[in-house]
Amino acid sequence: MITDITIGQYYKTESLVHRLDARMKIILTILFVVIIFLCKNYLSLALMALLTVVSILLSKVPFKMFLKSIKPLLLIILITAVLNIFYIHKGEVLFSWWKISVTTGGLSTALFMAVRIICLIMSSSILTYTTVPTLLTDAIERLLSPLKVFHIQVHTLAMMMTLALRFIPTLIEEIERITNAQKARGADFESGSFLQRVKAMIPILIPLFVSAFRRAYELSFAMSCRCYHGGEGRTRMKQMRLRWPDFLALGLFICVMAGVILLNHFFGAVI
Amino acid sequence: MGNFIEFQNVTFRYEVEGEETPETLRDFSISFQKGDFVAVLGHNGCGKSTLAKLCNAIELPQRGRILVNGLDTADEENVLTIRQQVGMVFQNPDNQIVATIVEDDVAFGPENLGVLPAEIRQRVDDALKSVGMYDFRFFEPHKLSGGQKQRVAIAGIIAMQPECIILDEPTAMLDPQGRKDVMKTVKMLNRDFGITVIFITHYMDEAVQANRVVVMNEGKILLDGTPKDVFTQTKLLEDAGLEVPQATQLAALLRADGYDVPKDILDMDELYDAVTALVPHP
Repeated sequence: MITDITIGQYYKTESLVHRLDARMKIILTILFVVIIFLCKNYLSLALMALLTVVSILLSKVPFKMFLKSIKPLLLIILITAVLNIFYIHKGEVLFSWWKISVTTGGLSTALFMAVRIICLIMSSSILTYTTVPTLLTDAIERLLSPLKVFHIQVHTLAMMMTLALRFIPTLIEEIERITNAQKARGADFESGSFLQRVKAMIPILIPLFVSAFRRAYELSFAMSCRCYHGGEGRTRMKQMRLRWPDFLALGLFICVMAGVILLNHFFGAVI
Repeated sequence: MGNFIEFQNVTFRYEVEGEETPETLRDFSISFQKGDFVAVLGHNGCGKSTLAKLCNAIELPQRGRILVNGLDTADEENVLTIRQQVGMVFQNPDNQIVATIVEDDVAFGPENLGVLPAEIRQRVDDALKSVGMYDFRFFEPHKLSGGQKQRVAIAGIIAMQPECIILDEPTAMLDPQGRKDVMKTVKMLNRDFGITVIFITHYMDEAVQANRVVVMNEGKILLDGTPKDVFTQTKLLEDAGLEVPQATQLAALLRADGYDVPKDILDMDELYDAVTALVPHP
């Protein structure tokens, strides 16, 4: 059923990670990216991988969901690894043919990069799997609110994101309705060459755009009727509050960061 | 009770650049009393939706003025106060729901008004309970039926604590059950909360339930009175392209055939009583 679609990637369950403040989760994800680029040897990378695994276990989101999130990026991971194998010439030569040679250094870098990318994808997936999209836009609005000083309309941007999320299911329903209406008139979407099938989409797209504009117009009426006048003087029903688990998580990440720096320092760099 | 909304010789036309548009309303005067339940009837393009948009300063008249609780809609400073006092519910429930969760949507109005968080919480819960949608507060709007969405939209207005609600054909896109539920909710708001209701519709059976019926035709008031006064004017209504409620229609036909049926029958129950009274009891 089309009405069963869920927006975003949110995985509904109860866990420590789900309960963390969305703002803190965004900050931690950014911090994670920073730390993982600080890693210079396998020990520090292993520490980050451990952090990733612990976070996944705490989030109670099934591991196969994370494998699914890696799948679309598998090709990029592979290409990065292969390029590293052939371009890095360090250490012993294991195999050489014509102008191509594979070295231990190349293999090691390739592995390092692959693990690093996988950790990156998984960490950002933890954020999207455990946070409702609207909370995410809310959190972004609040985190970016200092930018108001530079006259950037943070509230407007966040409102646009929220409305876009709100109207995804509505527009999907609309597409289905228009498709059925056009099929009933004898339109053919399944056969023909690629170009023909793309052309067949035009009778769906035009009514969809017309109706989207009409909806936008009506929505703007409805919003002004409900006294919407921008972010000025607006309050929120749901307040975001940082609690001790949020600070605990931040503390953990800072410890890991210190650990990574120490490991880098004492065990040398391989990369 | 005093006039809550007052139209004083209002003339309005939609402005389209480079085009001479006809006047939607011409020298139009009407007033709505506090606590009243008014149904506004008329076929498409008679100006009834325009009437609604003029009431809360979405559109402004070219001539004449509109006072809401004594405040002129043309005054920029009054706009927010007027919109807080006069809530509006539209035909398409999908195009007036802003948030992805029911309770967040109901909170939208009070949030815009700058109400404190704890009080918004209270208002949202109360509003959802009063329309019977409290159990659905964590639902996503697209998983609700049309009637339920429309009740959420009404809750969103109630949470702003208005004096008056204008509903612009709120039942036009709903199934019969949804229509019934919305109508019940609106009547309850009028009866229990004393909220003034202006109900724009083209369903006769809904208009019959109001205290006052205003029939509009080509930007003017054709008829204005109690449902009984209005719906007995069969000839005028039909000339304006409107149908008379079915029961009234049938009663008129029976009268024409020489049966002694009262003229002012509005619904099936009254008709049933009148017809059974005709049959001699054994």
